[in-house]
Amino acid sequence: MEFFGPVMDGFTVVLDPTNLLYCLLGVVVGMLIGVLPGLGPAATIAILLPMTYGVEPVTAIIMLAGIFYGAQYGGTITSVLLRLPGEASSVVTVFDGYVMAKQGRAGTALGIAAIGSFFGATVSIIGLTFLAPLVASFALDFGPPEYTALAMLGILLVATISGGTKIKAIIAAAVGLFLATVGRDGFTGAERFTFGNLSLADGIDFVPIAMGLFGVGEILYNLEERHRAATAPMKVSNVWPKAKDIKEASGAIGRGSVLGFFLGILPGGGATISSLASYAMEKKTAKDPSRFGKGAIEGVAGPESANNAAATSSFIPLLTLGIPANATMAIIFGALLIQGVTPGPQLISNDPELFWGVVNSMYIGNILLLIMSIPLIGVFVRILRIRAAILAPITALITLLGAYTIRNSMFDVLLVVLFGALGYLMKKFGFEPGPLVLAFVLGSLLESNLRRSLLVLEGDPTGFFTRPISATLLALFIFVAVWPMIKSAIDRRKNGSIAAAVAKEKENA
Amino acid sequence: MKNRMTRRTLLSLSAAGAALALTACGGNVGDSTASGEFPSGPVTLTVGQAPGGSTDLISRAAAEGMAESLGVSMPVVNKPGANGALATQEVAALEADGQNLILLNASLITITPLAVSEEEAVSLDDLDVLMGLSQDDYVMVASTDSGVKSLEDIKNSDEKLSFGTTGVGTGSQLAQALLLAQADIAGTTVPFDSGSPALTAVMGNQVQISTIQLGEAKPQIDAGTVTPIVIFSKERNEFLPDVPTAIESGYEVPVSQYRAIAAPKGLDDEAKDTLVASIKDAVGTDSYKSFNEQNMLTPHEISGEEVVTEWNELAAKYKDLTEEHGISLAGK
Repeated sequence: MEFFGPVMDGFTVVLDPTNLLYCLLGVVVGMLIGVLPGLGPAATIAILLPMTYGVEPVTAIIMLAGIFYGAQYGGTITSVLLRLPGEASSVVTVFDGYVMAKQGRAGTALGIAAIGSFFGATVSIIGLTFLAPLVASFALDFGPPEYTALAMLGILLVATISGGTKIKAIIAAAVGLFLATVGRDGFTGAERFTFGNLSLADGIDFVPIAMGLFGVGEILYNLEERHRAATAPMKVSNVWPKAKDIKEASGAIGRGSVLGFFLGILPGGGATISSLASYAMEKKTAKDPSRFGKGAIEGVAGPESANNAAATSSFIPLLTLGIPANATMAIIFGALLIQGVTPGPQLISNDPELFWGVVNSMYIGNILLLIMSIPLIGVFVRILRIRAAILAPITALITLLGAYTIRNSMFDVLLVVLFGALGYLMKKFGFEPGPLVLAFVLGSLLESNLRRSLLVLEGDPTGFFTRPISATLLALFIFVAVWPMIKSAIDRRKNGSIAAAVAKEKENA
Repeated sequence: MKNRMTRRTLLSLSAAGAALALTACGGNVGDSTASGEFPSGPVTLTVGQAPGGSTDLISRAAAEGMAESLGVSMPVVNKPGANGALATQEVAALEADGQNLILLNASLITITPLAVSEEEAVSLDDLDVLMGLSQDDYVMVASTDSGVKSLEDIKNSDEKLSFGTTGVGTGSQLAQALLLAQADIAGTTVPFDSGSPALTAVMGNQVQISTIQLGEAKPQIDAGTVTPIVIFSKERNEFLPDVPTAIESGYEVPVSQYRAIAAPKGLDDEAKDTLVASIKDAVGTDSYKSFNEQNMLTPHEISGEEVVTEWNELAAKYKDLTEEHGISLAGK
């Protein structure tokens, strides 16, 4: 009862009409932007952040979380119908989903994707419900050395796992680490890279960076790209999959859910990687791999379950340790801080209503999504026709206003514009803003905790290895660092690796 | 259908925009210098700290009563940055018409200059201090695992202890450093970003001791998860009567946080009197009094002149004490 009491209280929080409304709002907005190519959940949350200032923290996070997992549902629709992945995490869905649509099985593909998404998310929420308190029970054992090890692991994973070119990810992460050093040194009071500007004394705020890189940067980039003209969507019929389809897909849904859950927890992991991994796994385990790319239902079911499971489980490191696993989580991290809530090991015990309110809202949100995703498909596809000339200025305006209202500072507005330009250039030259933003957050965690650890341990670095949690994390760090070498040795023995095939198809998509 | 969707999106977005624009501009409405009448419009109270912290809460509690007394609205605007130096310099540069006020933390004047560069230091010379509000005490707490129960235990400890503070240039750091130097206690000082992580670290015995503001530590003291050692006020605190002060234990550590309301320099007497009267009205209300009690704040409602004397004296005293004991707030 001890355990279930707060969990049940969380449901009362969700069932509050305001929270339900914001949950609905979040998932609808999420689905909507999931449909729009280019505008991702990270950008949307950065843009809509100001709308949450006036509401209760739990309500705000319920809505922002809804946007994130809602986007995973929405991204599927255009992948299947238009061969236009709305989200990076739905790229692999194109391979078989679009082929299925051409074969007249669009309804089946969308239906199975929705069911898989729902199943994946639910598995993940249940995992979150039981795993999070376990992690949080170590809360007080997490001292500076543990955070140091965790931040190091996080930065390493960001640089190694994230999509795109590795060297570019490392460069972006290095810039993020550098930006994290700006401001007054929290240990000596010395000014670093502030150029005598008082506005920089506390360092660069996270939110203008996120709003600039993701919000303004994306807007600029999309204006240049223009939305690719949407062709008339195909007719969708027979949304409810047949028993045979469900039977074929059930294995993929189960595997995708579990895989997504674990990949989502890892820093640097998340929806996109899990969908890729799930697709590769399905192809590997299939009796007849040649069916893939020709309308195999597992190719839709697996990745779609995985990306939803990952979207949900990536809340675990954020809510229990205060470590954002991916760029979207980093922005939600910022949103919590603005609300005066510090995510971390103490959150479950200090603020159980917020914690369980947010977790339980995901059950409701996913049910809402499952119900809505089918009938609203047609509506969402039409949204593709809104002209960028209308959408872009409005979103830019909201972003800038939002940046101002955080600290009532014109300086922050200037920062958003600067980082917007940087974000645009980064995208244009193939750099992902994600590693930069994550390294920025983790960098300040790493620096202050490393210095704190060395103070506590009296300058003796062996202390990191005598504490069980930090020793485990550092062992993991070493493993991840040498893994690529081991992996490439294994890969060399196999020819025609699946990963390469997936990467190639991704390029074609 | 398509058009309706578009219009609805547009509407909701522009409504959100308009709402934001209103909040953003709220502070500047009625800035006119129309003759005589004070106040000529809303009076803005700027706070140099983020929303939600104790300084912010105090300013909101005061603004509520003042607005009622003045008969105009009194928006509280947060401009965090550089411990409040940013906001203070901004307000000090505004016109001295009484329409813009600032809530001051004493530490910005008395302690921060000991840790930061000169450009960042703020002086009271550019401001007319209207009135002092309250005193917020620091308490030293120990983890239960450390077994430390008193100052004597710390002195006699065989293990080398580490001491958490709430950051560089804070009263927490100064108070603790002075005590350790005077009591001749060796130990490592570990700065955290604010009170909450410093408290969590003591609860987990990551550091054995921390000095934090009373309001933050009180719930954990009551729950028995941390042990109070000494309080750094001149007299025993009414909310923690059994805990000895550092001063009665024989150490000269008169460190507390004080707050006051100030206006840009050169305010005319009439406006000043009106504002001071409104602050007096505000602190006299029952809701403000119970606010103080809930937040463990001791009323310290002294006149503006007294605030200036007291804070300047404290600044000089802290400077002497740190020099006497060879303490550098920036060095550690």
